[in-house]
Amino acid sequence: MLFIDYAWLIPIIPLAAFLIIGFFGHKTPEGGGYIAIIAAAVSFVLSALVGYEILSGTVAAPYVNDIVWLEMSPGVVLNFGLYIDNLSVLMLIFSSLISTLIFIYSIGYMHDQGERKRRYYTEVSLFLTAMLGLVISSNFLEMFIFWEIVGLCSYLLIGFWGFKHPKGEKASIAAASAAKKAFLVTRMGDVSLLAGLFVLLNAFGSLDFVSLFDPANIAAVDNSTLALGSLLIFGGVIGKSAQFPLHDWLPDAMEGPTTVSALIHAATMVKAGVYLTARSLPLFVQSTDVTLFVAVIGGFTAFYAATMALNNMNIKRVLAYSTLSQLGYMVLALGAAGYMMAASLAAGDVEVDHAMGYTAGTFHMMNHAFFKALLFLGAGSVIHAVGTEDMRQMGGLRKRMSITSITMLIATLAIAGIPLFSGFWSKDLILESVLHVAEGGHGAASAVFLILFVLALVTAFMTAFYMFRLWYMTFGGEEGEASKHCHGESPRSMTYPLVILSGFAALSGFLILFGFADALTFNFVDGAFVVGGHGLSMIEVLEDIFLNPFAYVSIALAVLGFYIAYRMYEVRDIEPGRYNQYGESSLYKLLQKRYYFPEFYNALALKLAYPAAMAVEQVDRKAVDGTVDGIANSITGGSQMLRRIQTGFVQTYAAFVVGGVLLVIVLIYLIGYLTGGL
Amino acid sequence: MADMMLSLLLFTPLVGAILALFMAGEKSKYARWVALIFSVIPLAISLVVLTSYDMVAGGTQFLEQYTWIETAFLKMQYILGVDGLSLIMVFLTSILVFLVVLFSWEEKERPNFFFALILGMETGLLGVFMAADYFLFFIFWEVALIPMYFLINIWGGPRRHYAAIKFFIYTHVASLIMLIGIFAMAFGAASILGVSQLNFAFDTISGVGFSSTFQILVFGLLFFGFAVKMPMVPFHTWLPDAHVEAPTAGSVLLAGVMLKMGSYGLIRICLDALPDGAVAWQIPMIIIALVSIIYGALACIAQRDLKKMVAFSSINHMGMVLLGVATLSDVGIAAGAFLMFAHGLITAVLFMVCGITGHNLGTRQIPLLGGLAAKMPNYAAFMMFGFMASLGLPGLVGFVGEFTVLSSFYDWALAEGMVWLIILGLLSLLLTAGYYLWAMQRSIFGPLTDRIDTSKVNDVNIFEGISLAALCGLIALFGIFPALAWDLIFPVASDIAAVLVGVI
Repeated sequence: MLFIDYAWLIPIIPLAAFLIIGFFGHKTPEGGGYIAIIAAAVSFVLSALVGYEILSGTVAAPYVNDIVWLEMSPGVVLNFGLYIDNLSVLMLIFSSLISTLIFIYSIGYMHDQGERKRRYYTEVSLFLTAMLGLVISSNFLEMFIFWEIVGLCSYLLIGFWGFKHPKGEKASIAAASAAKKAFLVTRMGDVSLLAGLFVLLNAFGSLDFVSLFDPANIAAVDNSTLALGSLLIFGGVIGKSAQFPLHDWLPDAMEGPTTVSALIHAATMVKAGVYLTARSLPLFVQSTDVTLFVAVIGGFTAFYAATMALNNMNIKRVLAYSTLSQLGYMVLALGAAGYMMAASLAAGDVEVDHAMGYTAGTFHMMNHAFFKALLFLGAGSVIHAVGTEDMRQMGGLRKRMSITSITMLIATLAIAGIPLFSGFWSKDLILESVLHVAEGGHGAASAVFLILFVLALVTAFMTAFYMFRLWYMTFGGEEGEASKHCHGESPRSMTYPLVILSGFAALSGFLILFGFADALTFNFVDGAFVVGGHGLSMIEVLEDIFLNPFAYVSIALAVLGFYIAYRMYEVRDIEPGRYNQYGESSLYKLLQKRYYFPEFYNALALKLAYPAAMAVEQVDRKAVDGTVDGIANSITGGSQMLRRIQTGFVQTYAAFVVGGVLLVIVLIYLIGYLTGGL
Repeated sequence: MADMMLSLLLFTPLVGAILALFMAGEKSKYARWVALIFSVIPLAISLVVLTSYDMVAGGTQFLEQYTWIETAFLKMQYILGVDGLSLIMVFLTSILVFLVVLFSWEEKERPNFFFALILGMETGLLGVFMAADYFLFFIFWEVALIPMYFLINIWGGPRRHYAAIKFFIYTHVASLIMLIGIFAMAFGAASILGVSQLNFAFDTISGVGFSSTFQILVFGLLFFGFAVKMPMVPFHTWLPDAHVEAPTAGSVLLAGVMLKMGSYGLIRICLDALPDGAVAWQIPMIIIALVSIIYGALACIAQRDLKKMVAFSSINHMGMVLLGVATLSDVGIAAGAFLMFAHGLITAVLFMVCGITGHNLGTRQIPLLGGLAAKMPNYAAFMMFGFMASLGLPGLVGFVGEFTVLSSFYDWALAEGMVWLIILGLLSLLLTAGYYLWAMQRSIFGPLTDRIDTSKVNDVNIFEGISLAALCGLIALFGIFPALAWDLIFPVASDIAAVLVGVI
């Protein structure tokens, strides 16, 4: 027996939980929370077993198993099925693991929510179903279906407090508005992705990964169509993984419960875009322009989003900007990997090995899932204890909340890229993969990648700064207003997941030395695109990292970021606001206002769509309907006549109507009679 | 029995209507039971027909043919038959009528007359979808309109008289023009065949080989009739008025089934019998479809009345149906037909939700609502489900329709070198999401409204809940297993497209 034959159960188990909790959750303890935990845990175990079979080579990857979903026309078949390779396995394992931990944490965090718990566990179970379905989908359409359902769950959960918010009306208005914004902004990306599907379906006559990633099929499609399809698909990535310029929904999404931010808006759903990029690389690498575009969007987002985290006072918002920035890193890495391969393929290389950026991007995706989930859960623990998200009212919590503060410190060290913690390894590999392209002699593109490399380095510095700033503002220094009312450390259901996650955040980086660098690679071997194998060995990784002078530059920058934050927020001998004492700094304001992006979206709705709608409404009433009424009036002899008809009795109408029909029938008989008699 | 299946299906509701009509006065409270029984029977028959339809053989089955009037110059026949496309519409009609009866269980005002009209309308609607004779088609078309007129006029809102007469005159003018088209076809066919006997049967007329000019002219006449019914911009203004005033049951059947008579007629008559005309009219149809899509979506954003918004969304979605059909490809026609089935199910949910809004809260003005999810959780859940289905959430039936329509439209636009036109279709998806989410934000989310009195407001009652839940179940069922409907529709679309390809 092979576990992979039961891989289809991985999303089905949470689906069952979704149904059970949806119908009967209110009759079970914690609104069905335990059912959700068990389902997630079983999915995790099954994912791990399936993962073992794939990674050990017991089952050849990709494992594909399809059933026909819809035969659109003869020959054009839309399938529904499984496509499991190393990349899917990675996503499966960390999504289900983190979900399990976050569901456990939710038992404590959502304990006071009463009736609403059922709704919460129903929605997160549906989310997990769709998330797991997304990563094992065998074709773009199936993936799109799950892609939209995770978006729906995100919408529902951001708006979880969209009515009857415990903090009052203003908060519930904000939550409802944030939910709508998240849905609409990501839908812009989704629509682009959908268009990409049309392009590919038209070009390939199929949406199955197996046939789309077959070089023979790819060769039959002309390059501009492929590039168009790739760019449109990447539009979906920009929406879902919140890349510039569709990034602005993610900070607002923090209106949802913190567990949701941790699960959906940090660890899993927003990674779906990165996953899609990695998955679609065989198409992307057909064009150097597309991959360059991917890298530029990622690199720019990494830098741009980090700037907004520098001066934000809301603990969750800082983490949200940080998520944006880190997602940018991943996209950048995949763009760099894609560019390398695209350039080689364009040059006619028949064998392209170990695109390091691919390893780096997927590795960072996993590491980030651990440490960012931990950061959000830690923030949730703090918010749970102090009742505010404003870091100015926190401070000094290190004594009252020792477990939270230590675990968050580990996550902070990890994300800041302090050596040996997980983030260090993957971030360093990302920087290096970008540098590789910059040094690769690709002309103008190399110059672009050099700029991206510098941006990425500066981002590393900013990351260290804003993360330690967050940690010191929360846990260091003197006790703030809200800290005084802190009711101590959170319950064990919340702290245990923190401890477990901190173990991963500290140690998951070492996986790169023990097989990860070989398992998650992307190659073009023997005329086929292959995920896994031909990767770096432990020694090569160590050499690559520690013999590279830039690795030390990035470490130095991280330490510098830490040091400045330490002086500003712990020792407090540098005043952070000294250039902005009266709010005079326009840069400060620009960052606070998120580069005026919210205003831009509002203008799109209020200055463009709404006036257009009102114009249509006016035209409809005055011109179109006016004409109709005008014609009616002129035929019936003016409004006088119409009014007389209108005020008549029902019987009058009945007479009209029945008379009309009778007339027609009589006419028919008459024609029949005249033309030959009945 | 089997050879009279369709007649049995067709006239059972009529019998029910007559029975209900006689239950005046005291007995009127039992009218709903009559209605229930006489809507369950057609539903059961339609399921029997559906399951015993031979999909391998395909084509028109359960054929019944009787001559009604025959003279040397005229042959009028009673011909019924169903193929996959008819079947899906027959199923839609019978299930919606049944659920509407259930939904209207608590109707207090002259229930006997009310249920009689609904059942009478069912006969008309079923007749339209099963007729295999143009004249019979026309008669049922008219039969379906009349009960709707009364439903609006008697059970409607404050401006019901205006709306009812507008509905009646507008659609009547359209059907008269359509009638001229039908007669023209019958005369044309007679003269081509060299006989003096007018014959309206589908079989006689389609494929007779009309001249191009004739086809283009007659297509225009028929298309006008169908476009008013669908309705397409700029012939749509009767629809918002009719919907706003109509009672919920009327709205559900109007939007759920009656609008589909237009698109059904377009596929069944215009495309099949007048392929040259269809090809010549393709570009105008595409333009009208795209205009309706965008115009309808924008108009939705501007609406303050929830029901009027949903009414305009019908224009938006029926535009999408026309867009699919107008590609004249097999996938496009099937997609359009699938979407009209999907829209029938979805819009029923939407209008039921609007009905509950008006009935339970006393107003449908979106700005007066707010925070209702706290007070009416089931209502909010159904609203959200309906809106999500309507905006094309994957996993639900509307998505399959929109995906296939837009995909076929992309294929068409690419082949015609106008690929950028797809942007309009995609824009519509964005606008649709925009108006639905905005409406939800203002009506069910946020703080509970204090602009209306909500202290005594009830949630969805059991009858409303059952009908809504059943519809939601069907929406999910056909969304997850679209092949159930698609495999019925596609062969029909494929046959029609083959005729069209012969022309192109």
